[in-house]
Amino acid sequence: MASNERTQEIMRGLYDAVVTFDEETCVKFAKAVLEEGVNPSDAIIKGLALGMEKVGSLYEKQEYFVPELLMCSDALYAALEILKPHIKVEEQATKLKVVIGTVEGDIHDIGKNLVKMMYEAAGWTVNDLGRDVKLDRFVEEIERTKADVIALSALMTTSMLAIPVVIKKIKAHNLNPTIMVGGAPLTRDIAKQYGADGYAENCGMAVQETIKALK
Amino acid sequence: MSKRSSDRVSALLEGQSIDRVPVFPFTLGFCARNVGYPIASIYSDAHKSFQAQLWTQEMYGYDGWPQYGYASYGAWEFGAEIRFPTGDWEQAPAYERPPVQSEGEVETLKLPDVKTTGMIPLAMEFSKMQKESGLPVTITLAGVFTIGANMCAIDKLCRWLIKNPPVVHKVLRLATEHISNVVQYWADTFGVEDTLVWIWEPSADNNIISPRQFKEFIVPYQKEAHEKILATGIKHIICHICGEQNLNLPYWAEVPFGDPGIVSFGHQVDLTTAIKFFGDTCIVAGNIDPQIIQTGTPEQVYEISQQCIEKAKHSPRGYILMSGCEVPPLSPPHNLYMIVKAVNDSGWYKRE
Repeated sequence: MASNERTQEIMRGLYDAVVTFDEETCVKFAKAVLEEGVNPSDAIIKGLALGMEKVGSLYEKQEYFVPELLMCSDALYAALEILKPHIKVEEQATKLKVVIGTVEGDIHDIGKNLVKMMYEAAGWTVNDLGRDVKLDRFVEEIERTKADVIALSALMTTSMLAIPVVIKKIKAHNLNPTIMVGGAPLTRDIAKQYGADGYAENCGMAVQETIKALK
Repeated sequence: MSKRSSDRVSALLEGQSIDRVPVFPFTLGFCARNVGYPIASIYSDAHKSFQAQLWTQEMYGYDGWPQYGYASYGAWEFGAEIRFPTGDWEQAPAYERPPVQSEGEVETLKLPDVKTTGMIPLAMEFSKMQKESGLPVTITLAGVFTIGANMCAIDKLCRWLIKNPPVVHKVLRLATEHISNVVQYWADTFGVEDTLVWIWEPSADNNIISPRQFKEFIVPYQKEAHEKILATGIKHIICHICGEQNLNLPYWAEVPFGDPGIVSFGHQVDLTTAIKFFGDTCIVAGNIDPQIIQTGTPEQVYEISQQCIEKAKHSPRGYILMSGCEVPPLSPPHNLYMIVKAVNDSGWYKRE
């Protein structure tokens, strides 16, 4: 069992490694979590997630751009891969469940992937349907996974028109997840017109805006 | 430039004074729907594409010329399979799997034969129709970073900007040489007098890359590509600096576009800012938000078009009213009419 001081050192190490996109060091500290008896959930929340929060704010401030975010994401996922299998089942059950995807007609998924990363860093369970996702599939997955949140993305002005259609379908099935939308042509006003519960202008805002919109 | 003296865009390029701000909307799939063709035909059938664009232009009475091209340029040309838009929500050609999967594959990647690869035969057929109709001949290509992103997938290229800069340089070198080879093919086939090159650069958006990365990696190649285009004797490059590129503008200003070039902008770049950077050397074009053209009311579209005209009408080398990116194919037709109406109401120049 690691001392308090060592536990802090490991958390800080994970935080710094994610922020500086140092995948090797991130893996080293993730292994230390398991080897030295630190709670993996704590390591994710107090190390990796805080690191990703910082990464999101650096993106907001235009100090980081997508290349840096993707490198941070590689460091994050390398650590998550080590830590996740060791999270207790009862802890997993209490996590927010999210279904995410880029809507039918649109193959652009870089933004969606970055939002997914932010959600996973927040400790949420994300079911990623990928890109060019048939509209009915979103409804089926919400029903199947009992998702708390559905996050819909579109980059093209034509494919964004599929978003209100999905939202109508979700409501027609009497499903009530928190509906988040995002993507270059969308705005907060359009999100509202479409019947979404929330909108995030970029991946850095995604977690915060989703929490704000939660039902 | 074109013998069609009535064409305001050609007149502007020749430095002549014109009677009214030209309006040259960025219409592709919209034209197909307008004449009852599938959107895919704009990309898969040069003849239908040309017809649909010409008929739509005549119907609405706007300036400019038909063009053939799309933003995923580079994928098909370097070996991927392209998918033309057929679904209800599809707008433009797309590809599932880029031609390059790994850093190692970049090393072995060869320049394609420009006469046979990807969309080039279709674009050549299209240009022959432009020539036969007495219109300027245009070839539309992507910028070096967008071609690179379509060759490798943008997420990979972004990672390599940090992890493996030599691979990025290799990709951008190939893109630069490819642009040069295609343009030479057009110059050899049609001559240079009436030939124009369009470059679309959506991937260098500052929501994706930093101005530092743009300056360090992309500008040297983009500049070289433009210098090579102009060295053929082609006089004008039309460059669509797509999306949020405010932080890149000082570096774009180092890139030559011809005398004058045309630079077009999305709604994210204010036209006053665009004129500050490019007004003395280029015709400035833009920047009606396509999302408003698609979902806004006719009144909103009219008002925003008028605001554009008011801001940019007196740009030193001229101004073209244009949408900030492609007019979405599903836009209400009346909204396109309102863009043309705005220019007819407010775009006239007083006779000196």
